[in-house]
Amino acid sequence: MRHRPGDGGDRIRSAYRHFLSLYPQHFRERYEADLLQAFDDRRREARFTGNAGGVRLVIFLLRDFVTSVPMTYRANNGRRGVDGMMSDIVRDLRFSVRMLVKNPIFTLAAVTTLALGIGMNAATFSAIHGILLRPLPGADQPEELVQIYREWPGIPFGSVSVPHYQDVRDRTQDVFESVASWYFEPLSVSSDGQSERTMGMVVSANFFQTYGVVPALGRTFIPGTEDRDPGAHPVAVISHGFWESRFGADPTVVGRTVTLNGHPFEIVGVAPSDFRGPLTVAAPPIYVPLMMANVLRPAFNVLEARGSNNMTVVGRLREGSTIEQARARMEALLLQLREEYPDHYESQLSHTLVLQSEAGLHPSFASAQSGMSTVMFVVVGLLLLIACVNVANLFLARARDRRREMGIRLSMGASRGRVIQQLLTESFLFSLLAGAAGLGLATLSARLLSSFRPPIDGPWAFTVEIDPAVLLFTGVVSLVSGFVFGMAPALQATNPDTVSAIKGEANVRSGGTRASSALVVMQMALSLLLLISSGLFLRSLQAATRIDPGFDDPANLAIASADPGLQGYEEARSAEFWDRLLEEIGALPEVSSVGLTLYAPLGLNSSDRGVAIPGYEFAEGERTSLRYSYVSEGYIETMGIALVEGRSFTRQDDAEGAPVMIVNRRFADRFWPGESALGKVVRTAGRDWQVVGVTETGKYQSLGEEPQEFMYLPVRAIFRSDLTIVARAEGDPQVVLQRIRELARDTDPDLPVYDLRSMEDHMGIALLPARLGGSVLGLFGLLGLTLAAVGIYGVMAYSVSQRKRELGIRVALGANRRSVLRLVLGEGLKLTLFGTALGLVAALGASRLLGGLLYNVNALDPVAFTVVPATLVFVSAIAVYLPARRAARVDPIGALKGD
Amino acid sequence: MTGPDALEQHLPLSAAVFHVLVAIADGPRHGYAIAQDVEELTEGRIVMGPGTLYGSLQRMCATGLIEETANPGEAGLHADRRRYYRMTPAGSSALRAESERMLRAANVARERLGT
Repeated sequence: MRHRPGDGGDRIRSAYRHFLSLYPQHFRERYEADLLQAFDDRRREARFTGNAGGVRLVIFLLRDFVTSVPMTYRANNGRRGVDGMMSDIVRDLRFSVRMLVKNPIFTLAAVTTLALGIGMNAATFSAIHGILLRPLPGADQPEELVQIYREWPGIPFGSVSVPHYQDVRDRTQDVFESVASWYFEPLSVSSDGQSERTMGMVVSANFFQTYGVVPALGRTFIPGTEDRDPGAHPVAVISHGFWESRFGADPTVVGRTVTLNGHPFEIVGVAPSDFRGPLTVAAPPIYVPLMMANVLRPAFNVLEARGSNNMTVVGRLREGSTIEQARARMEALLLQLREEYPDHYESQLSHTLVLQSEAGLHPSFASAQSGMSTVMFVVVGLLLLIACVNVANLFLARARDRRREMGIRLSMGASRGRVIQQLLTESFLFSLLAGAAGLGLATLSARLLSSFRPPIDGPWAFTVEIDPAVLLFTGVVSLVSGFVFGMAPALQATNPDTVSAIKGEANVRSGGTRASSALVVMQMALSLLLLISSGLFLRSLQAATRIDPGFDDPANLAIASADPGLQGYEEARSAEFWDRLLEEIGALPEVSSVGLTLYAPLGLNSSDRGVAIPGYEFAEGERTSLRYSYVSEGYIETMGIALVEGRSFTRQDDAEGAPVMIVNRRFADRFWPGESALGKVVRTAGRDWQVVGVTETGKYQSLGEEPQEFMYLPVRAIFRSDLTIVARAEGDPQVVLQRIRELARDTDPDLPVYDLRSMEDHMGIALLPARLGGSVLGLFGLLGLTLAAVGIYGVMAYSVSQRKRELGIRVALGANRRSVLRLVLGEGLKLTLFGTALGLVAALGASRLLGGLLYNVNALDPVAFTVVPATLVFVSAIAVYLPARRAARVDPIGALKGD
Repeated sequence: MTGPDALEQHLPLSAAVFHVLVAIADGPRHGYAIAQDVEELTEGRIVMGPGTLYGSLQRMCATGLIEETANPGEAGLHADRRRYYRMTPAGSSALRAESERMLRAANVARERLGT
């Protein structure tokens, strides 16, 4: 009986047969039958039967492969060429694996160091690739998509109003296959007795068709039908994620009803799982047709307001059309529209067309995005370089130990190129191992980043994943770094001075040590550069928290937002709701004062509007659109904004009263320099407003911003339903927030109140970029410091072990331990100081480049430039001290006998 | 043909080659029998897996130490399908030369050890 079924014999045999393809073809053709016969013969031996025998057989065969595969390739080594080279590589690989296993500590140190470097690079790349670089996931042929913006003076990427969008859609069919549009809309969603507030998306009926997205379930919206008859299409498409989380992936979800802002909508379809919306950072859960905009937000007729720009427009180019043709078409369209609606198109300069693939999050952030990406890549690149230097040093140290081996090989007639090939094979093997480990690290960080949610309301979703591009990037980075850290030691080890190498008298202080010293100096310099850069960011963050925002203590300010318009309140009811809430909160014993505003400063929101100032001529290209907020009486006082002159708003500043406004000092100084602003007139929002007060200039959008003009208009004179309440707490603002929540619920239990937080937490949003930048760079700097310290320790420890004999002689000749300590310490510190000096020069250069990203910090910040180098020197001193102490303890007899 | 120069280049023989030659010194054998014999001869120190076995046999054929031959009339499992190997004259002189070299070396060792 040849094979007993069930004992695994067949399986091992078929696997063995499969693995025969490892042998060169000529060998296989000739001996395949014999090999299998030999296998069968072996299989019958007593030691290879049964389960344990099977395991033994597999091990036996593996060992057989390892010995015989290179042998069969070597057999026809006579004719070199691809086969010969392959056999070399196979042999080198085998040898490298042996070296790798022989020195586990060396392997672990080298691979860990390198894995950190490669992992950081892969993680950074996967983040930047996932968010900014890759084409929009789920969209069909995303390279044909073009984003269209309106351009005004100072605003190159302006949004688009609904009527304008409709004109673009209907009049550019010669260049665009279809033109879609979208905007985010806060929604309160209820179904099955659950209600939540979320950020949905209002989209044109052809939105899904334009992106080339086919629904996973049901249908999408119907162009030609559902983009007509406002209010007549209460239908919604939900995202795949929302379908799973909210409806448990119920296949019968199509046809069910959800309530959006108090109105019933029928779910008609589910978007596919790979399409998560038109932005890479957000995943809106619900899409609603544009024609329902006025139902969702009844207070304002967005569909007919040509001047209300809130949509992003995206067009799909017709086959054969170019973006240039599209640009020309848009120019012609603007000329037509200017004739038809002279009032609305007076100031628009043109349209800006950007390829969707190049738009990133928003084209106006393009320079910030590429700036941040560049900084990140430079930083992680430097880290990888430091890691490579470390590993190169480890290899260099080992290469010195192996000079004898290399010398013998060279003298036996191996060409230098052949030996270098062997050494490079070894370093590539290391770098690929490290690359695999680094990929693990990147996966971890991608998972972290994907679950990151900024402290701002929204359907955030960072889709960062390890895709083929990331794999390719990691592979290339690994191989390049393998080459970088492998080449220097390879050249060093194969130094043609083979004779002295064989004799084993390689001078300890020769080139090898000099090369590692140079590497250590470079490493010190690089880590210092990294640390000073992150130091500057941290200092900038520190400075930012000390900036005066222009209002009093944010720690006991409570803020909360609501939008009764979402629940279908019309103007009078909204106003009544806010009045009542204002009164009740003001009456709380925990609250000293209270006010309303359109939005709290230093968040992400801002609005600006064009102004005209009688008696002031705007220069061409000068920005005429200025920031503003609507505020109630009590707001200026509650915030503690300093009033320079005039008065603040009162309850009487309403629609019936005379139109009055408050401006900041910067505003007053710009338009009425040297005069009092009181009594002056500003024309905006269709009315003439008289200035009754001037406040100090504060910070409005970000703490780092330049002083800018700002105006406050009375909220009682211009209606808005979505407002934010600010309350000055006596004590803990959390208590006040709780009370606000309760009061709002008492007024209308269905009305969601959102963004409840202390002003301090709210300001965290403005500090988020600096905080993220600082902590990421700080982490990288720390990693760099660790790597540098490990590097210098390794080199010094190695040098001490090599000089044991010399040091022993010194001690034997009467040198005291203190002087030996001083000698070794001195040498190490010399390297450190030299590297530090070099790093300082590099950091000075870099700080110039960083200057633009820092706020309120001198690029030559004295603290960053003294504390950081001092820390580096201190840490390296410790790293040098440890081997030096060992050197001082050297036992002269043992050291002299040792060789 | 292999002259004395060619003989030189084979020496010293590796342990595996030496024992393979010993295994077929008294007549042709097939591959597996050679492996078994080698294992026995070396007291289990050299166990040749299929690949190692045929890899070595191929190289030894290529260097002219052994050659393939017809089944010398053995019966047994799949005897007709197996490849048989026998020593070439070059192989036998190489084995002889190697044995003498080893013998000399062994004698020197014994002498010095005083046994």
